[in-house]
Amino acid sequence: MEAKPALSVQRSRASQLGAFGTSGAVPPSFPFLPTSVEGTYAKCSDALRVSLERESMQHPSSVVSPSSSSSGAVGHIFASSSGISTDLQFSSQQLEGKHPRQSPFISQSTNSGESVILPYSIGSKALQSSTSSHCNNQNNGSWCTDSLPEFLDFPATAQSCPLDGSDSGIVSIQSEDLSKQNDWQDWADQIIIDNDDLTSDLNDLLAGANVAEPEPKVLIQMSKDSINYSMLQPHASQQLSACATAGQSPSSNTAPAKQRMRWTPELHEAFVEAVNKLGGSERATPKGVLKLMKVEGLTIYHVKSHLQKYRTARYKPESEEESSEKKLTSIEELSSLDLKTGIEITEALRLQMEVQKRLHEQLEIQRNLQLRIEEQGRYLQMMFEKQYKPGTDLIKGVSSTNEYPSNELTDAPPNSPPQEISTLEANNSKGGDSTNLATTYSETSRPVAGNPKANDAGMVESPSSKRTKVDE
Amino acid sequence: MKFGKRLKHQIEQSLPGWRDYFLSYKELKKLLRSISSASPPLERGKAEADFVYLLNDEIDKFNSFFVEQEEDFIIHHKELQQRIQKVMENGSDQKDYKEELAKIRKDIVNFHGEMVLLMNYSNINYTGLAKILKKYDKRTGGVLRLPFIQKVLEQPFFTTDLISKLIKECENTLDSVFPPSESAAGTLRGEKETLALAGEGIFRNTLAALLTMQEMRRGSSTLSHFSLPPLKFPDSDIIHTLQILPPIQIP
Repeated sequence: MEAKPALSVQRSRASQLGAFGTSGAVPPSFPFLPTSVEGTYAKCSDALRVSLERESMQHPSSVVSPSSSSSGAVGHIFASSSGISTDLQFSSQQLEGKHPRQSPFISQSTNSGESVILPYSIGSKALQSSTSSHCNNQNNGSWCTDSLPEFLDFPATAQSCPLDGSDSGIVSIQSEDLSKQNDWQDWADQIIIDNDDLTSDLNDLLAGANVAEPEPKVLIQMSKDSINYSMLQPHASQQLSACATAGQSPSSNTAPAKQRMRWTPELHEAFVEAVNKLGGSERATPKGVLKLMKVEGLTIYHVKSHLQKYRTARYKPESEEESSEKKLTSIEELSSLDLKTGIEITEALRLQMEVQKRLHEQLEIQRNLQLRIEEQGRYLQMMFEKQYKPGTDLIKGVSSTNEYPSNELTDAPPNSPPQEISTLEANNSKGGDSTNLATTYSETSRPVAGNPKANDAGMVESPSSKRTKVDE
Repeated sequence: MKFGKRLKHQIEQSLPGWRDYFLSYKELKKLLRSISSASPPLERGKAEADFVYLLNDEIDKFNSFFVEQEEDFIIHHKELQQRIQKVMENGSDQKDYKEELAKIRKDIVNFHGEMVLLMNYSNINYTGLAKILKKYDKRTGGVLRLPFIQKVLEQPFFTTDLISKLIKECENTLDSVFPPSESAAGTLRGEKETLALAGEGIFRNTLAALLTMQEMRRGSSTLSHFSLPPLKFPDSDIIHTLQILPPIQIP
């Protein structure tokens, strides 16, 4: 629990709950805050921050954390609206490593080994119904349309305000009902639509804040620790399946609001479709494309930058190749060297392809080997941690092969337990790996809590013979 | 030291816009040395923290660059496909047909090369990271390597499956649009001409990358279970021919 006066994101360890608060006026009359929310209500004083609260995904109640600029405007808005949907739910969860999840949009941030995955799946039925009703009726118009985009609208203000410590505003909206993505989309659409009308209001509210564009942006601020946004769109249908961004960026960003999104061909297809519907790359606007695409978690910022790239690619297909980044290829030189015949050019291209294919092949092989090396290392690490007893069954396979790695005695790390010993000197032909595994494990299990030398001695069969073997 | 040199060579050979985004191997080694030399625990702790901080920063750098390039490639890939479609539709009686087709072919080949170079970028940075982490563990007796490298494996810049897929698609496209009927016809040219063909730009870079890779795997002094076996190409391979030639610049 965090008692910071400002709302802040708590990038938390598993059990930590973020502080959560609104402006002072709200709490007593705010019927929508779930009792399970721990924390004190605090005044929003800083730049846009949203506090995250760790909840389970099944938690039906939702909490709205307003974000505010230096003015207390948002808090005020929140106070005034009682018809807020109960289903907006912010949570941060922490997961280790990669987790394929149902949520279609996951961002991760890490901090020295921690990984925090913020499921960004949006769309709950209740949300849609309540907000739509509210938005339609404009019962609490000031909230529905204004503050929602406002709370989402981070970078405009956040960038102008220094972030405190290493926390920054992360919004993760999590829905219990992941399949109701369309609801969210409709809702977001409505927000976008309605925002047009309320632009001026929005500007007033964000007085003092830096609203970069007249049209409100639905933007998500990334944490300083560089959250990765990864989106997968496997089908042409706008369903986003579970995706786990592989990346966690352990470092902190230099740019406060750096967003990184990973495009896929499918997503790009949807993009192109939307652009074409809107009359081509020159006429299409980011907002329009965003609306048409109906992809959760996609922000206008993403679309804008992608559109820019797209335009460049289309209208300068030549300069793509001949930009300052790339030198002229050999073909150009050939023609200047008076070897202009078609056959020779073709030949050169063929040669080039050969080399490139070869490089690609080798890179793939190398990458796979590297993966496997680490896999083994990890496995062994696990085994050591489980304090595997030596001299048991695994030793059986010892004599089977002589595919031992040539261990560098001096190279073994002095700390013994995590002996990252693996036999992975697979030949290029990749033969005999399974036997390698068996023998490795048996060998390493023998010298227990680490006499490195013993380990290595046991492992080093005959480096010279190994080398000759490979050289064959 | 050898890797450092080879990395530097590789960077020099790479596309100009890419040169700033490779691993700062030298700097990391410097930091490592300062860790070893810093004896008071406070200093040492700080030096170690700096090291880790730089590592993370580097990874961030790789990720951004990689994802940026990947996005460009996705767009470009689609563009090429559309171009091909257009040309095919217009039929072979178009007067620019042959020219257009030749241009497309060149573009595809270069595009292919760029993507492969990106994969090479990913790989060489990974290799560097693995090496520097190994050195770190060795010097400081720490256990940074294993968990850290596990994290690295999951980073966007190392998950190159999409790029690989695009590369293969490129190859297929090439094979289908430009059936390899003349492939057998290519006799190996004289050395000068071959080198002339390598020229500058993408072809040269891929060639350089390939050779560098071979060099790096030739047999290091600290061969261990983490070393990769040397690259072996079949003798008839074109690479051997190209390899003998010194990397002279064409005026």
